[in-house]
Amino acid sequence: MAVSDISYRPRFLAEGNVYLPHLAVIEKTVDETHDTRTFHFNFKDEKLREEFTFQSGQFCLLSVLGLGEAPFCISSSPTRRGHLECSIRQVGKLTRALHRLGEGAEIGFRGPYGNSFPLDFLKGKNLVFVGGGIGLAPLRSLIWNVIDDRDRYQKIDIIYGARSPADLCFSYDLEAWDKDKTVNMVTTVGKSDDGWTGRVGLVPVVLEQVAPSPKNSVAIVCGPPIMIRFTFPVLERLGFTPEQMLTTLEKRMKCGIGKCGRCNIGNIYVCRDGSVFSYAQIKSFVSSEY
Amino acid sequence: MLRHYWPPTKLRILRTSSGKKVTNNKRVNKKDVAKLLNEWSGEFTVFVPSRDEGVTKWTKWDGEGASFLDWYRNTVVPPKAIFLPPMEEMFGFHKDGKGCRIELPASSKQKPLIFGIRPCDAKALAILDMTFKDAYEDPYYLAKRNRGVLVGLGCTNPYDSCFCTSLDSSPTDATNVDLMLTDIGDDFLVEAITDRGRKLMAKTSLAQAAGETDEVRAKKAKEAANSKVTRKIEAEGITEKLLSCFEDKDYWEKIAAKCISCGICTFLCPTCYCFDINDELVRNRGERFRSWDSCAFPLYTKMPMENPRQEKWRRLRQKVCHKYEFYPLNFEVIACTGCGRCIRLCPVNWDITQILDNLPAEEQLKPEKC
Amino acid sequence: MNHKEMEQKLRREARALLEQGKVGYIIGFEAGSLKFTTTPLITSAQEDTSRLVINPFIANNLSVFLTEVKGRVGIVVKGCDSRSLVSLMQDKKVVRDDVVILGIPCSGIIDLSKVEELVGKERDELDNIVRDGDRVVVTVSGNDREFPIQKVLYDHCLGCEFPTPQEYDILLGEPTLPAGDSAQAASLARIGQLKDMPAQRRWKFWRSEFARCLRCYACRNICPACFCQRCFTEESEPQWLLPVPRWQENLMFQVIRNIHVAGRCTDCGECERVCPMNIPLRSLTREMYGIVDELFHYRPGMDKDAPPLLAAYEATDTEDFIR
Repeated sequence: MAVSDISYRPRFLAEGNVYLPHLAVIEKTVDETHDTRTFHFNFKDEKLREEFTFQSGQFCLLSVLGLGEAPFCISSSPTRRGHLECSIRQVGKLTRALHRLGEGAEIGFRGPYGNSFPLDFLKGKNLVFVGGGIGLAPLRSLIWNVIDDRDRYQKIDIIYGARSPADLCFSYDLEAWDKDKTVNMVTTVGKSDDGWTGRVGLVPVVLEQVAPSPKNSVAIVCGPPIMIRFTFPVLERLGFTPEQMLTTLEKRMKCGIGKCGRCNIGNIYVCRDGSVFSYAQIKSFVSSEY
Repeated sequence: MLRHYWPPTKLRILRTSSGKKVTNNKRVNKKDVAKLLNEWSGEFTVFVPSRDEGVTKWTKWDGEGASFLDWYRNTVVPPKAIFLPPMEEMFGFHKDGKGCRIELPASSKQKPLIFGIRPCDAKALAILDMTFKDAYEDPYYLAKRNRGVLVGLGCTNPYDSCFCTSLDSSPTDATNVDLMLTDIGDDFLVEAITDRGRKLMAKTSLAQAAGETDEVRAKKAKEAANSKVTRKIEAEGITEKLLSCFEDKDYWEKIAAKCISCGICTFLCPTCYCFDINDELVRNRGERFRSWDSCAFPLYTKMPMENPRQEKWRRLRQKVCHKYEFYPLNFEVIACTGCGRCIRLCPVNWDITQILDNLPAEEQLKPEKC
Repeated sequence: MNHKEMEQKLRREARALLEQGKVGYIIGFEAGSLKFTTTPLITSAQEDTSRLVINPFIANNLSVFLTEVKGRVGIVVKGCDSRSLVSLMQDKKVVRDDVVILGIPCSGIIDLSKVEELVGKERDELDNIVRDGDRVVVTVSGNDREFPIQKVLYDHCLGCEFPTPQEYDILLGEPTLPAGDSAQAASLARIGQLKDMPAQRRWKFWRSEFARCLRCYACRNICPACFCQRCFTEESEPQWLLPVPRWQENLMFQVIRNIHVAGRCTDCGECERVCPMNIPLRSLTREMYGIVDELFHYRPGMDKDAPPLLAAYEATDTEDFIR
């Protein structure tokens, strides 16, 4: 199991130095929940704006210069060019500083890093997206990517939930997917409030109720670790094999390119060999710390 | 087999008409070393072992002499500190209002010449190269490493903590240097290992051709040095053993009990390379730094909502398994060269060689998914 | 009682404690993997107690492990260690009933770096080091060399006021008398030299010392008084110090650490022993220890029921902002 070759991935290095960020300007911000906001931004450099590409599932490292840098998945779809989107939740020093930035502010961007959702493997299959909370962010990139190329894929089920109606992210996308007749959109909340008329129940429970068929299907699961830990057994009960279950893993990251050491699980680096993994791959990790 | 970055070119062994072997090796008198360093200082920044309040490390040669030859066995701070310094500025930036301007770092033009590097430390640099060249090239490390010259010095007096001979190396291993010096009394025998080394010796008039007595002395010296390493481990099958006992929580808790989770072993290890990246801003000017970090620290893997290695035994397991299991799985080489610094300097005398030789056998394993 | 007899008694007592189920773990010293070193032994197995040792190289302050090892523990302590242990009791980090204290009346620990300097050889090149009363005999290449014991003991051992443990359940030997005045003066010699330096020179000295610091945190982690679950250096909001080893930050780290452990530090000297960069950390901690004594007439770790110095107040305290 030697280290895998990633030389095929397109790179956008500033001055040939992988650690130098590109400068990007925040064009718009959209509040998703009380602590989560989506930032729409664009590169200052025109040439980069034209040339930049990425794949769904890849992440970037955003800097507030002077404060630090952290990894965020790119939540916009590569099929929709014009700007990039990252959805960020306030959990610490850097994310709080990002939230204080408004339109016109400049941030640093390094990326895209990591592997991506295997579109070739998903082609011609039924797709079951299972998301929780801000976990919808990496899924969202793939969902729009897939919808923009609808004929390549079969059925689409999206099962998404959050703790409460106020914690649901991307409500405008949920609406759009609900309206889309080629998509089965199931939204649920853990605890309802006065205005909520939809489903109530935890995502793994609702998934078991919806019971998508495993035949020619792939499940893509993103959410808090506890949700994933309860979702995998449900999928197994429904008949999905570990190869048919994909997810993204999160770790503390600094360099994003497999050098600083901290994001490893055994001999793989989540930043370099992930963050997209199948459950089969996760089970084959030499370490159980994921 | 270690894949090194600069394949050494073996020199032709000439035979005279009488059938005697004549090599291209040279000889330098120890009294001429300072002059040699002076010559090299024209083109290179020469680094030599030095002592500061009893702490031995590598610093720029002060132009004075070569008195370090009197006391030098091996340094506390390894030569990795020259290529991957404890702190390094990555780039600077200006901020005004909402805008930023990034200042490109001046790329290092320094050509370091490390005089007297030991085989264990030279091999360690070759091991570090694999990470810093993999996937994305690290510009800061490679700028100096690509221009660097290593003048190796074979050991004559290994420590009781050295165990290099168990890890595909030895006090006289010349695989990863450009020139290899062997102490033969009043002189050093100088073997050119790479073209770079050969060119370096060709330029100086301070070296004479080595004679047969020199070669004989060198051979004896090497044999003596190699036999002085008494500490040994069984490196064969270590990766597999660790693979099988990875989940044995009780075992790891027991052996981690006396570790205090400081950074001494990782910082002073010549093959450890983990680093942290931090920014500083003072008024409207700032820098991004990279600095040494350690998997022993809890903050190393801390995330806002959880920490996969909150417990000390997990961090210790990571350190051991990274060196003897994960790195070999990726690069086919154990990330340890047996220099023994971790054993000599550990505040609680935690000894990796004791651990590796006493890993639980298959029958004793108590795996719990943890 | 000599060391051998103390050792036998220790092994007997430790084994009995485990056998009778009075403790779950024994924390003591065993022979290290390098010549003239010892290493902590933390074990629940009775047969391991036969490896316990007492000799002039038992430097570690084992009370640092008490905040981690759960349940009832039998712990081996010297004079300074026992005060660290009592200080932990004052802070309610350790419950008295949970520890069985095996006290060693200590006659000083040998500083190998002092031996190395006197003899001009490194530790692994020495044949033997034997203490004989107030002398030490060092054998190098078959030749014996004798030195007065004062020349090779750690500085903090020279000035030890309380070599016999303050609190104990089992005393492993006859109580030892504290060091005499001249030894105490020798212990403070280095600090005296620093205080005699003019301010500018002293500042330059500390700048260059802290330029060597790597922020390995060995000093903090080996210290029993540093028991915070999350150290101030690990905070990011606010970010007190960057984890970058610049002399400014290194110096600030040590100064703040000293202030945080003031009133808890018992001058065990471990911080200076473990520093791989030979930074004279004890000069700072001992000075703080002296300041605490001078200002508050307080010595840490003497009375397990006394409130910790800087975590308690009296109505009669001079400062009135708290009223």
